[in-house]
Amino acid sequence: MSTPRTDVRLDVRLEAAPMQPVGCGTCGATVLARKSSWDQTTLQWTAAALATCAERRTTTAGSERPNRNAFTGCSALTAAIRAAAVAGQLDVQSDEPLPTNPEAHP
Amino acid sequence: MTTHDQIRQIEVDAGPRRFARGWHCLGLARDLTDGKPHQINAFGQKLVVFAGEDGTINVLDAYCRHMGGDLSQGIVKGNEIACPFHDWRWGGDGRCKQIPYARRVPLRARTASWPTLVQDGMLFVWNDPQGNPPPADVTIPRIPQVDDDRWTDWIWYETVIEGANCREIVDNVVDMAHFFYIHYSFPTYFKNVFEGTAAYQYMDGAGRDDVRPATPSRNNPTVLGTTSVAAYHGPSFMIDEVTYHYEDLDVDTILINCHYPIDENSFVLQYGIIVEKKDGISDADAELMAAKTGKFIKYGFEQDVAIWKSKARIDNPLLCEEDGPVYQLRRWYQQFYVDVEDVTPEMTDRFEFEIDTTRPNEAWRAEVEQNLAARRG
Repeated sequence: MSTPRTDVRLDVRLEAAPMQPVGCGTCGATVLARKSSWDQTTLQWTAAALATCAERRTTTAGSERPNRNAFTGCSALTAAIRAAAVAGQLDVQSDEPLPTNPEAHP
Repeated sequence: MTTHDQIRQIEVDAGPRRFARGWHCLGLARDLTDGKPHQINAFGQKLVVFAGEDGTINVLDAYCRHMGGDLSQGIVKGNEIACPFHDWRWGGDGRCKQIPYARRVPLRARTASWPTLVQDGMLFVWNDPQGNPPPADVTIPRIPQVDDDRWTDWIWYETVIEGANCREIVDNVVDMAHFFYIHYSFPTYFKNVFEGTAAYQYMDGAGRDDVRPATPSRNNPTVLGTTSVAAYHGPSFMIDEVTYHYEDLDVDTILINCHYPIDENSFVLQYGIIVEKKDGISDADAELMAAKTGKFIKYGFEQDVAIWKSKARIDNPLLCEEDGPVYQLRRWYQQFYVDVEDVTPEMTDRFEFEIDTTRPNEAWRAEVEQNLAARRG
């Protein structure tokens, strides 16, 4: 019987396919990303990358709703991650081909 | 080769022996300002909550430092709580103010008092095992809709969950598939964002034909879908903004889903609802909708509880790619269980996870069709 662990465990899904670095062409921030399919994205920021992000800095908090002032994500970074996946620089775990005609996949 | 190598074992780490640092909602202020002491079992202790003549709500350790009397069985006198045993009077600051039969109060006559916050009709207490006061930047967002006449008053529920650590309910924030199997939802979009002390869940849902009323009516209209932005602000207090889409209008609701630990193996779950009174909807209909939504949520939590009662605690969940970020959520949650100086960037750095709902939605559409076929007989 081993001593119970108290550390933070690694996502089991990362054992076979870890996160990979991706740079954003807009602000130069580097994050870690992983895609299990074309429409799934895991994204780990650092404080430095977040400080660099242009969209983050221009997001204004003006909503009267309690949850609507949070930064939902960076569109430039989303595009950069997708471009890296299309270019083969970021692995896509699923072997399904890139859906090139969105109308065919409603 | 042995079978031992092939079977995945469930691993259970040492459960937390402390309670999360953060603001915890104890209930609605209106229910706690009746001039009577209220007993609250929280953080492995017994607390007394009382409001004096000045209206201030105070939270103290319930046991009198004199001879151990239970202050929650006492009487509020002025701005103090009087012990039922010998009438020692304790103020909201934790100090003994008066002993009616004594010339003077002895030295060090001070008990534990808890920092409180009354905001938007709710009472919060600050729990910190290190005893530090709440930092100015650790707050609960305001909900201005609570004071708005165009919204209903709180409908509030409380239930005690025995035999489960409160981590089980926090796990729900990333568990997309359980919303289909346990809560009769149909998630079509699901994304989590964790940053600092907040954990967000963005979820869109489709209506489910197999759980709709067979004959929709004006009082029971068909929900076409939902848009939800939910977030834990700290370890235990979730605000969920849900818009229900009907054929001819959208109705906005704000739900609270919060809890406080009784001990390591039980917690009090509370949830509240306010509903926007849209033009064309009478106040009575809006209240009715709030009540109905409350009942639906109550039913949903009962479904959760049935699972929690018999499930195992598991620290090495086996996940498929269509599951949410359980490990990263627990990494975020861990920040509330370590000393504040031991919080690491990996616990608080921004993390995003969007699920691909393509395959789940195919499977669920098929299951809904099967259920409908079975209903038709």
